Amino acid sequence: MNYDWSVVWRNADVLWEGTKVTVFLAVTTMAMAIPGGIALALMRLSGIRTLSIGSALFVEFFRNLPLILVIYTTYYILPVATGLRFSPIATAIVALSLNVSAYNSETFRAGIASIRQGQSDAGYALGMSRFRVMIDVILPQAVRRVLPVLASTWVSLFKDTSLVSVISVGDLAFESMRVRSQTFRVLEMLTAMAVIYWMLGYPQAKLVDWINNRYRVSE
Amino acid sequence: MSLDFSPVFTSWHFLLGGIGDTLALSALTIALSLLLGGAIGLARCYGPSGLRWALIFYIDSMRSIPVLVVLVWTYFALPIVTGVTLPPFWAAASALTVHISAYVAEIVRAGITSVRPGQSRAAFALGMSRTQAIREIILPQALVRMLPALGSILSITIKDTAIAAVIAVPEYMNRSQTVAGQSFHPIEVFLAATVVYFAILFPVTRVVDIIYARFAYLGRS
Repeated sequence: MNYDWSVVWRNADVLWEGTKVTVFLAVTTMAMAIPGGIALALMRLSGIRTLSIGSALFVEFFRNLPLILVIYTTYYILPVATGLRFSPIATAIVALSLNVSAYNSETFRAGIASIRQGQSDAGYALGMSRFRVMIDVILPQAVRRVLPVLASTWVSLFKDTSLVSVISVGDLAFESMRVRSQTFRVLEMLTAMAVIYWMLGYPQAKLVDWINNRYRVSE
Repeated sequence: MSLDFSPVFTSWHFLLGGIGDTLALSALTIALSLLLGGAIGLARCYGPSGLRWALIFYIDSMRSIPVLVVLVWTYFALPIVTGVTLPPFWAAASALTVHISAYVAEIVRAGITSVRPGQSRAAFALGMSRTQAIREIILPQALVRMLPALGSILSITIKDTAIAAVIAVPEYMNRSQTVAGQSFHPIEVFLAATVVYFAILFPVTRVVDIIYARFAYLGRS
């Protein structure tokens, strides 16, 4: 079997475009899913029954479905449900955001819940309102605990963006596999794809470890 | 908009077989990953340093490459290197095992390092050997703490098997794609798939939560 690795260099521009789409998808999704997750977590903790049940249903629903299925279903349902035409990339961002918001919501909720009762009791004893206790006492401590989990979610999201290739979004996975079927250079293109993901993901995984050590909770 | 679920019902036998394949692939992958990942996690903590570095590299690589890429590479590229073509089911089982074992190994390591050093020092002070201290003192405590994370591996694996549809494993996701393509009713078929996957995954996560709540007190130290 002879290999021809030049196919990778000849298609470097295509792979570069795909890489940019992958990064764009991850960044945009996270930018949507952090506010989304905070909103869902606050709904859950609001004490208002309908809001908290609605949030719980949303979170349980998306956490218990394979992402690839959410992507397909969104792809077919979104245009019918809204009557609008969505580009594949917009569909991908919607599907990924729904999924990651659900995970982020649990992260924020756990972060807020992990702050001991005594902290808010002390706030109330000092005459603070429920809102001020949340803003000045609970959230600043919760952020430190949430950060490492958010970082892991980011790395998962970065990898999961590859799944949107099934609805023809031109990300790194899609472009690599497209060049593969055009050139029949299967091993070369698939290995190049794996190596590019590895080069992008490996430093991120190491960064997550560092953040985890840096923000380790010690009480 | 009107929904017509008749394609799902006419193909129910075909789709039901897909559930069987999804469950078989999940069960096989989970069993293999627990064995392999457990061994890797132990070697990562107690093995010779050369092996440890190699395993860290393997684990971190699997944490940085998408499972889709591992699946596609194993099914399409590996046969070119080795000359052996695995059937889709076995290619998926090996790719998923290689991927998920890395996560299991990390869970095992986190569990072991969570046991305070005072515990093994106390064991040594009582005259236990290293093996005894690991087996009698560290692992029993570590195992309880690993349980919730290992439980979540169950649902992660079941969800990941849906990605095996991409390499034509005839599991539920793949069969849904087939029915959706033939019937031109993708919305109904994928909504049915949503119900099926939720019905499989929700009880799994709930049961794991309940079991863990019952045994959580054992993990305190």
